[in-house]
Amino acid sequence: MSDDKKQSDPIMQWVTFCLGDEKYGINVMQVQEVLRITEIAPVPGAPSYVLGIINLRGNVVTVIDTRNRFGLSSKEPDDASRVVIIETERHIIGILVDSVAEVVEMRVSEIETAPNVGNEESSKYIQGVTSRDNKLLILVDLNKFLSEDEKAELDMF
Amino acid sequence: MRHSKSPQQIVQQKLALDAYLSTLLDEVPEAVPADEAPQKKSVEPVVQRVVVTQPLVQPLQNELVAFEKPAKLNPLSVMPDWAQHEFQALFFKVDHLILATPLIDLSRTIKIDRKPGKIPGQPSWFLGLLDEHDSRIGVLDTGQLIFGKLRGSQRDLEAKPFKCILITQDKRWGLACDEILSIGKLKPDKVRWRTCRQKKPWLIGTVIEELTAIIDLQELVPHRKRNS
Repeated sequence: MSDDKKQSDPIMQWVTFCLGDEKYGINVMQVQEVLRITEIAPVPGAPSYVLGIINLRGNVVTVIDTRNRFGLSSKEPDDASRVVIIETERHIIGILVDSVAEVVEMRVSEIETAPNVGNEESSKYIQGVTSRDNKLLILVDLNKFLSEDEKAELDMF
Repeated sequence: MRHSKSPQQIVQQKLALDAYLSTLLDEVPEAVPADEAPQKKSVEPVVQRVVVTQPLVQPLQNELVAFEKPAKLNPLSVMPDWAQHEFQALFFKVDHLILATPLIDLSRTIKIDRKPGKIPGQPSWFLGLLDEHDSRIGVLDTGQLIFGKLRGSQRDLEAKPFKCILITQDKRWGLACDEILSIGKLKPDKVRWRTCRQKKPWLIGTVIEELTAIIDLQELVPHRKRNS
């Protein structure tokens, strides 16, 4: 592959995680660390997608119920469950996932735009889709994972 | 007994007759001549009445014409090309309902051997994406699209998953169904076509004999807002 093509079609790395039967990917550059499940303190009056808060080396981090966010049924955390600490534009948040799988590399050209048959708002955080091992991999844009109002709300916890 | 008329009587009768005739003659000039102004006055109202009656008649005629138009309209003239001649249709089953769709709108059918990848934030009738050969198909819950969200979404897809998918000609959409039944030929005159499809535009007609609904897939599948 020529240098020009490498620049126009760069390789990206994605941390993949599972929720139910689906596999999702998030940009590795936005993943700070992956934690085993610890005690999550509930926050009174928090929206349903907020599981609670954790103390991460002296910092309070809000943990999001990713299943709730993606419209999936809830599931009790188990040994495979992980809290992925991610960095969005202004916040550091944790997302609870069923399990973390691997880090995959792919070229930008391999990413297809996901169809949007609902309203634009409901799935704007879906960056695209691709295939890995004959299975669909859904790529999530963490910067759009929460709306501006929701991000502002997190500041109050 | 013979009565002889006196000259006075005759004069009186003559006067009476003259008076009667003159009365008749007095009435006639007002109605008959055409050139005199007073006569025009008497004619004009008649003409005006005719003029007035025309609009009363015309709207009725217009209404009749307007009423007759749909009856005379050939339903096929507003139907897609495939409906103009005998066409092949695929009969399939969703729940207990048998439906048909023109074969020309389909590329192939597949059995579902794996779950479609569910995309978060999409409507419940969008079951997800399925990689099939060289295409990525958006799988639709045909039951929900046809029966409506209330009735269609009552189905427990975990307990009773769909078994087959009809893939559209452009290979972008797949309609999940329970069973693929058969392929049959349909003649246009054996179908009651829906010429007015403002509601349920995907229901294009009904096979008269079997009372099977014919689905226009072009109208049933959504139009992708992105990646189109």
